[in-house]
Amino acid sequence: MSKAYEGPLATKFIGTPSEIYDDKGDFWVVDFPRSITHHHTYGLLTPFFKGLTEGKLMATKCTNPECTENSVWLPPRADCPDCYARTEWVEVPTVGKIYAYTMLDYAGIGIEMETPYWQVDVQIEGVDTIFKGYLKQGKPVTGMPVKAEFRTENPTHTILDVCWVPIEG
Amino acid sequence: MIKFGKGNLRVPQWSRRVFMVAGGCTPFRKYFPEYKLEELVMMGYKMMLEDNDLKMSPKEIKDQIQYCAYGEFADHFQDQLLCEAKIHDYLGLDPLWNNGIKTGGATGGAAVLNGAMAVASGYADTVLVCGWERMDEVDTRTGNFYISTAACKDFETRMGRIYSSYYAPMANRFAEAYNLSEVTRAKVAVKNRGYAMSNPNAQQPGHHTVEEVLESRMSAYPLRFLECCAMTAGSASVLLCNEEMAYKLSDHPVELFMAGGTHTLRVADRRHMEIPLLPNEPEGMYDDLLAESGRWPGFESFLAARFAAYLAYRMAGIKEPLDELDLVELHDAFTISDIQTYGDIGLRPYGQEPDYIESGDAYYGGKCPSNLSGGLLGTMHAVGATGIWQAAEVLWQIQGKYDKFHGDEKWWQRAGKEKPADWKSLQVPDAKQGLWISHAGVGSHVTCGILRKAW
Repeated sequence: MSKAYEGPLATKFIGTPSEIYDDKGDFWVVDFPRSITHHHTYGLLTPFFKGLTEGKLMATKCTNPECTENSVWLPPRADCPDCYARTEWVEVPTVGKIYAYTMLDYAGIGIEMETPYWQVDVQIEGVDTIFKGYLKQGKPVTGMPVKAEFRTENPTHTILDVCWVPIEG
Repeated sequence: MIKFGKGNLRVPQWSRRVFMVAGGCTPFRKYFPEYKLEELVMMGYKMMLEDNDLKMSPKEIKDQIQYCAYGEFADHFQDQLLCEAKIHDYLGLDPLWNNGIKTGGATGGAAVLNGAMAVASGYADTVLVCGWERMDEVDTRTGNFYISTAACKDFETRMGRIYSSYYAPMANRFAEAYNLSEVTRAKVAVKNRGYAMSNPNAQQPGHHTVEEVLESRMSAYPLRFLECCAMTAGSASVLLCNEEMAYKLSDHPVELFMAGGTHTLRVADRRHMEIPLLPNEPEGMYDDLLAESGRWPGFESFLAARFAAYLAYRMAGIKEPLDELDLVELHDAFTISDIQTYGDIGLRPYGQEPDYIESGDAYYGGKCPSNLSGGLLGTMHAVGATGIWQAAEVLWQIQGKYDKFHGDEKWWQRAGKEKPADWKSLQVPDAKQGLWISHAGVGSHVTCGILRKAW
């Protein structure tokens, strides 16, 4: 048992005093500051994020012959929602067409890219879903062909490691 | 194409009828430092007990409550886990059972549905449904980031860190697919913010012009600031009862029919589906539309809203929504989400949504006005309270109490505002039936509630 249990104890405040943020009315509003890091797992989807650092778009496909859909998923998912079979990894084309887009002008705090920039939703042949990303250069138009580029050097280890650029011609 | 199992399409059958008799809310503000959260909740709860012409005293009603459904969107905003326990204790309702409900933007609707299930099942005869949000502890951009964590953290949140950026691609897609102009979108903002001028509790009322909306600052192209709702602090409550209790408590009870639907959190994951048809839609009516777009709901529509309406209309026996509904309250978090919903709930067939605005049907005096409360754009989006407050606004319209709750000087004084000299009543004459939509994510959860005059 620690020595502290043995005698009278003088308690010291070792925190940081809260700042009063607002006392302009009959009330106090005080600050509760913090800085937090979460340790987040990519779980069974880790091959997708590793794939980005290797210049590959890895999707998952349900290959269960009993499944009615056998969909190809990008974003990938480890389990088929239609038949509950474990899906398999497949490499999908790194080209697609713009399905929808927006220009991000006013972003929430912590945004990791300089605003404004174009966010794009890309339809890829053979993929049943429509994959969200950002356009590194150019101006999007619905149906415009684009190809993927990857941040293989100094990767962020996030979804920001893939982006799209227009296919010239 | 994804098809639904027959069992999945079963229409809910409640064991007992469910009624709504009273509603209450706080004023809604961007910053509300005069009150702690539980004090705000008490304010709306007491309004529900004291000001709805109920035939029992507040204490007698409190003594009748057996269950509480509480709506809160985000622990991030409250910075308090188990807020439900603090609120429940503060309202003096221990040891009654309560459930905390969380379904994003649809939290309020989901709380009403949860409370209704408790009445319908016989768990309780009298249920408090109450929701709140305190979004004023952080600055706006931090709040935007918090809300964007209701997109997929792995594949979406980092792409924008603001929810407008998940709706904006839909707006662009919808504009191209269904010929929606920016002007029609802006008219929704003008209309709802204008109606908020009559609501003493409104956070962002204003007589704007289409030009002002289109010239306001861009959030995510094409959605401008005036097309997006704000962050709010506030609370709302409604009281649900079984049939016997409803008539004991009120001479003007309103019957509730309600169902919900869901769809993927990531808009990316929407695969092509068959369209569940509303009672007034014949088989094959969307064959041409699908041949063109090749994809439903695509980025244009909401499966969750369509599914909720599919069930709720059948529960209520509604065949022609536009003819049978006297008013609607829709989840206009963004102008585009409002417009997208018109097709989902059958105010117009898919592909003709803009006409609901352009025809005048959506306006006060029109065939089926929407968001006379001021909506989310004009009045509030204290998320956990929103779907509850919308229900209260529909309830009051059916009870003929729009003026009582919006025109009485008492409420303007409570809100610390002066009643405008040109205040206008938006009471729908002889309103018998109304609908409200509570909506989450990019359509991840949607409830569809229908309230019907029952006296």
